[in-house]
Amino acid sequence: MSKSWILVKRECLTRVKTKGFLVGTLIFPVFVLLILFLPAVFMRMGTEGVRRIAVIDFTGRLTMPLKSAAAEIRQDATGKSLYTVTAEEADSKTLASVKQTLNRRILDGRLEAFMVLSPDIFDSNRYELYAKNISNFQLNRTLNDLVTGAVSKIRLSESGLNPEFVSRLNRRVWAKTFKVGDAGAKEESGEIAFMISYIMAFMIYMVLIFYGSYVMRGVIEDKSSRVIEVLLSSARPHQIMTGKILGIGTAGLIQMGIWALCLLFVSAYGLTLVKLFAPGAQNLPIPSVSPWTLLAFVAFFLIGFFLYSSIYAAMGSIGNAESEMQNLQWWALAPIMMSFFLIFAIGKNPEGPLAVVTSLIPFFSPILMLYRISVQAVPFYQVILCFALCLVCIVGMVWLSGRIFRIGILMYGKRPTLPEVLKWIKYS
Amino acid sequence: MHAVKDLSFTVEKGKVFGLLGPNGAGKTTTIRMVMQILLPDSGSIEIFGKPLTPSLTDRIGYMPEERGLYKKMKVLEVAAFFGEMKSMRRGQAVQEAKRWLQKLDLAEWTEKKVEELSKGMQQKVQFICTVLHKPELLILDEPFSGLDPVNVNALKDAMLEMKNEGTTIIFSTHQMEQVERLCDAICLIHKGEAVLNGPLSEVKAKFGRGRVHMRYEGDAAFLRNPAFVSGFDDYGKYVEIRPADGIPPQSILKQAIGEVTVTHFEIAEPSLNEIFIHLVGNKGGGQ
Repeated sequence: MSKSWILVKRECLTRVKTKGFLVGTLIFPVFVLLILFLPAVFMRMGTEGVRRIAVIDFTGRLTMPLKSAAAEIRQDATGKSLYTVTAEEADSKTLASVKQTLNRRILDGRLEAFMVLSPDIFDSNRYELYAKNISNFQLNRTLNDLVTGAVSKIRLSESGLNPEFVSRLNRRVWAKTFKVGDAGAKEESGEIAFMISYIMAFMIYMVLIFYGSYVMRGVIEDKSSRVIEVLLSSARPHQIMTGKILGIGTAGLIQMGIWALCLLFVSAYGLTLVKLFAPGAQNLPIPSVSPWTLLAFVAFFLIGFFLYSSIYAAMGSIGNAESEMQNLQWWALAPIMMSFFLIFAIGKNPEGPLAVVTSLIPFFSPILMLYRISVQAVPFYQVILCFALCLVCIVGMVWLSGRIFRIGILMYGKRPTLPEVLKWIKYS
Repeated sequence: MHAVKDLSFTVEKGKVFGLLGPNGAGKTTTIRMVMQILLPDSGSIEIFGKPLTPSLTDRIGYMPEERGLYKKMKVLEVAAFFGEMKSMRRGQAVQEAKRWLQKLDLAEWTEKKVEELSKGMQQKVQFICTVLHKPELLILDEPFSGLDPVNVNALKDAMLEMKNEGTTIIFSTHQMEQVERLCDAICLIHKGEAVLNGPLSEVKAKFGRGRVHMRYEGDAAFLRNPAFVSGFDDYGKYVEIRPADGIPPQSILKQAIGEVTVTHFEIAEPSLNEIFIHLVGNKGGGQ
């Protein structure tokens, strides 16, 4: 075991000491911080962008309710009004020239849009909207809502109803989302919960591919630089393979640990930090990750890594040069990619039979079971069953890969065919 | 298909043993079996009087023909790492590595990356990695290939020093002159079988004396007369001649004087080179 330890130490240290590792480790926290702070920073920058809207009101009655309703729409960051509505006087004779002046103001950027409210608006249900960008859905929708609100206010008071009372009657209803887990229901936004699960599954996906191909490249490098024979004069093949996998796995674990700490930190202090920058920020999507999910994240990283890195190691031992990696790594890449795409198939029904069966297949478990655990409570027996199956599968794969590895690392020249590799497994 | 078959040899403790043979004869396979990298289908290998076990490899140093070092690591780090792989303690490995780097004129390269070194220097580092742990048995596959004469000498001195300290050395090579000067005993492998095996003097005695080694200038066409010469190995200015049965070397000299300018004439035992070429059957191959 002590020789494996020396190999592990070398493999891990030579990787952790590189600039690439430092950059790769820091890029994720930087990315998270950017995602958190950029919206706040943009909001702050956007404070001066008050949208000016002009109204030519031929009914003479809509301008006031429009103005007061528009003043209610606030900016996220500062809490100031987002729209200012100004009335423009015009009659049928001056309309053309007023429109021209307003057009010019829009082109100059002094005005966002202007609208013409004709007297028959109460029957036609139409008004004219002039803007530089008429496909700005958010603007169109806001203005449509404002005009609709003003028009129906007038309609209601003409019919003798109290508009305030009616609007209270008509108030929309919104869903408050709760996540159901073993610990009881907990309030959480549905979209954010999906995003976090998706991001974690994606991270496992990336990390498995990254570290798997590190293992594979490492084996091919040792083979093509002929170090492998020098190593073989001091250690057994299984020690070399273990050293490679554990060494690179430790480097990966260090990286994942830093990332997990970063996630924990953000979910605990993210909002406080963001508020320092943008005091108006209330409803930012700050992810909240439970420690149990993080634990599952690390556990499934380890399971996935041991499962796939042994395949990658065996594939590496078959190859002679790095250029062969493309072809060989498909044996590991295919199931990893497949499990990632299966998320979309089981996403709608993470408790359904397809989800249960696929997430229990060890090659898919690291991504699918983690996904299921993070979106909802998986029955405890399934988690235990999953770990047991994965463990058995890892032992099997390490044994199988070990047999391929010890022959593969001494074979140079033509790459063996699949039947030849099967023969190695049988006879080695 | 057998890479090695019915091969049997014994190496005496503290001696230098040459493992010879043409390319593809099975030398590397044999060495790999000794190192337990490959397992023999049948037969047995004993080292230090014991059957092979994994822990025995710590008492052996092996330098493969295809050199291999971690190119991105520093020289001292690499040497210390391979020392540790032979169960040395870290501090001891570093200390020994420094001593050897000093000895082989690599002291100023200690903190350089391996890839910055010339090929010859890398080979010396490889040798250091092999002997760092003071092995009782040293196995060197083609130790001198690719080295300049100065480094060949440095390496040879290091080998002899280790021999004097009691290390047994097995080395394989194509360079017969090295074998002739260094080896106490040899084994010549051809097509996976030993065709010659034993102390160098005995091997040579088996092929008798009466060889003529001659240095000359001119056209040595007379050598092609089978009545005088049963075989020869001509280098243009130097030739090794096997006289035909019953022909004394004296009459060869007489013949030669008439045709070429003889600058050196010697009656000697057959060179290992000649024996090698004769046994492997690659006539006219030269060196």
